[in-house]
Amino acid sequence: MRRPLGCLTFSALIAAVLVVLAIVVAAAATGNGIFSPGRLSSVAHGGAVGGVASHAELEGRCEACHAPALSGERMGDRCLACHTTVTNEIASGGGLHGRLAASAATCRDCHTDHRGATAALTLADPRVFPHEQTGYSLAAHSLSGRGVGVGCRECHPASPVSYSAPTCVGCHQGLDAPYMTAHLAAFGSACLNCHDGVDSYGKTFTHATYPLTGGHEKTECGACHKQATTLAVLRATSTECVTCHAAKDIHQGRLGSNCAECHSPAGWTGATINHDRTRFALVGRHVGVLCESCHVERHWTGIGTTCSSCHAKDDPHRGQFTGDCAACHAATGWKDVTFDHAKTGFALTAGHAKPACAACHAGGRYVATPTTCNACHAKDDAHSGSFGKDCASCHKTTTWTDATFDHSRTQFKLTGAHAGVTCQKCHIGGLFKGTPTACSSCHAKPSSHTSAFAGSCSTCHSTKAWKPATFNHNQTHFKLTGAHVGAACQKCHTSSHFTDASTACSSCHAKPSSHGSNFTGSCSTCHSTKAWKPASYNGPHTFPQRHGGAGGVCSKCHPSSWTSYSCARCHSNKSMIDKHKGRSGFSLTTCANANCHPTGGGD
Amino acid sequence: MARSRELVLALLAILAITGLYAGYAQAVSVPAASGLIGHSLGIVGFLMMLMTETLYSLRKRAMRRPRGSMRSWLQFHIFTGLVGSYLVVLHSAWSFNGLAGALTVMTIVVVGSGFVGRYIYTAVPRTADGVVIEAQELQGQLDLVRREMAMAQGAGAAIPSGTARHQDRRANRRLREIERQMAALRWARRVLATWHAIHIPLGMALFVMAFVHIGAAVHYATLLR
Repeated sequence: MRRPLGCLTFSALIAAVLVVLAIVVAAAATGNGIFSPGRLSSVAHGGAVGGVASHAELEGRCEACHAPALSGERMGDRCLACHTTVTNEIASGGGLHGRLAASAATCRDCHTDHRGATAALTLADPRVFPHEQTGYSLAAHSLSGRGVGVGCRECHPASPVSYSAPTCVGCHQGLDAPYMTAHLAAFGSACLNCHDGVDSYGKTFTHATYPLTGGHEKTECGACHKQATTLAVLRATSTECVTCHAAKDIHQGRLGSNCAECHSPAGWTGATINHDRTRFALVGRHVGVLCESCHVERHWTGIGTTCSSCHAKDDPHRGQFTGDCAACHAATGWKDVTFDHAKTGFALTAGHAKPACAACHAGGRYVATPTTCNACHAKDDAHSGSFGKDCASCHKTTTWTDATFDHSRTQFKLTGAHAGVTCQKCHIGGLFKGTPTACSSCHAKPSSHTSAFAGSCSTCHSTKAWKPATFNHNQTHFKLTGAHVGAACQKCHTSSHFTDASTACSSCHAKPSSHGSNFTGSCSTCHSTKAWKPASYNGPHTFPQRHGGAGGVCSKCHPSSWTSYSCARCHSNKSMIDKHKGRSGFSLTTCANANCHPTGGGD
Repeated sequence: MARSRELVLALLAILAITGLYAGYAQAVSVPAASGLIGHSLGIVGFLMMLMTETLYSLRKRAMRRPRGSMRSWLQFHIFTGLVGSYLVVLHSAWSFNGLAGALTVMTIVVVGSGFVGRYIYTAVPRTADGVVIEAQELQGQLDLVRREMAMAQGAGAAIPSGTARHQDRRANRRLREIERQMAALRWARRVLATWHAIHIPLGMALFVMAFVHIGAAVHYATLLR
């Protein structure tokens, strides 16, 4: 009975061989069907796929689904080769398989076979199925179990891969029929356009993007989300108040579209406005005034921000000022006036700063008040109008006595000694205008000036001082030239009468004895005022003065006297006698006679 | 109780496994053979059956350095044989198609065969260690008893004393007992031989089928995925 090889008895080995043979035969006979873990599904969905109506037709054709070992091809590849619809879904990212991001490697995650002719080919566990990847989460539709939740078939009565909106409606009508009726009317029946299974957008929805408070809390969704049949449209609902409330705007659009500036969702009444946000902040006495005081008949816009918009009737200036009241008045009160008088072109300086406005603006007249001094100060004119109306030409606004006058603006400029004298020296008795400008009106002619000085003092005297006096002798018929310039006046004007002096040279200059009786003409014939010498003859001299190389030297021909001449100094007597033989009356002292050689030339 | 401890343990294990299996089937579904649980059941069950087939056999032949008593290994053999085969049956997911179905049936048959064989085996006298008492040893005991009886009759055959009669009665009882054991041993050896002739080829067929099944599963469900 001992078996050294244990079970490896002869009969056991025979049995093993027989079993192997039996398996080989059976496998060959069934097309490896003996290795099949179960019958393939005979359930047919629609038309043929891959040439067969169901997997059952592939019994015995293992290779139809099972790729050869180590070929690199997966069974999923063969699945997709037949199930082209799924292949297209995966390629497009759409449909159930596209949304699930399925692939050839993941077919087996959900699908199987060999579980019997009628067994389902999809083994996806609904409890772990990523339903949210289909675009709809089951967060709010927990799968059934222990009496709660819903089952797959409740939403997918026809097929797990199909869905129809009426399925939702039918179920939810049962939950809240009135609400669903209103909801369908407001948003339509394309449930999945908005609902993704996570947000119900119902009572528990957090309306975070636009918190619903006050009157908005109980408002029906459709009241704001009108005609919103998709989530995109739902989310795009404007949050502007006016979008929903425009039709009931009691302001009729006058206040724009931002209702929330004054109103809150708590209610239309009790509106508050921060007037500072407008262009007209309420300050001073405007604070606390009834809104309707300015917003007459509840017109909230277009009121105008100028004072006159409301205060035109209050204007005590009777429309004199076309500008804004605020230019002078503060909002604290009408009497709080600040006015920059300088802007008017008439700055109030010195003495003008203190008087009351009415001192100049009598009778409340402000506009077109004349700015001339005389307009106010006519009665104050100490000059009785003698200086005209422009006081400012002499006076300042400080005091009347603080006056300055530019005498140069008159016809009588104050120069020299006139500049320092008091006004009264000339303007006697307070008379300024019409004061004569003649020297004699102030300065009496001295006795030394006889009647010969009948002209103006200024002819000889300047305003600097009476002396020295100067006279422009060139104004007379006797211009002072040469040595006459610088000669003392008394040299010629020997008397106190300056006008009786002769202009003849001889009246001052006695003829020298050397001239004898030869020079009877005017001294100036030969002499100039520069000096007596040298003298030059400028009178008539018919005989050429440059004859015989004289060159203007008189003594060449006139060796002894200017009235006689001698030709013998150059023309020898002997030669001339020889030359004038046969001529009667020849004499070397009369050569220049008109009958012989009047111009020096000739034979 | 002590003599059938392995049966009790195997029964408890099977009950526990059945409870878990039923609970999972109720809560989820019957674990498919190709699923994680189904595969685990099959692999663990097969390994236990493999141990059933090999470990006890190896121990019986481990004369030089034996580890543990033969009884303990027999108990382990029976335990793994019952529990392992039960797991394999659960692995089938109650589907009996093709080779896998035949393998399941074969498993049940072999285990049933082993269970029956176990009781044939227990009918064979053994020492405390469970070693089969060979016929020669029994024959030696029988001879020893007979010599004792002869000595007793020679010492007081005419008028046997009280002690002698007592020894005689005891020797006769022992003689009858050993003769019964001898008769039983002869019957048991015949039946056991018959059972072995059937059980061992069935077991071999089972394991051949199991290996082919495993190979096919690896081929189709793993390599050809």
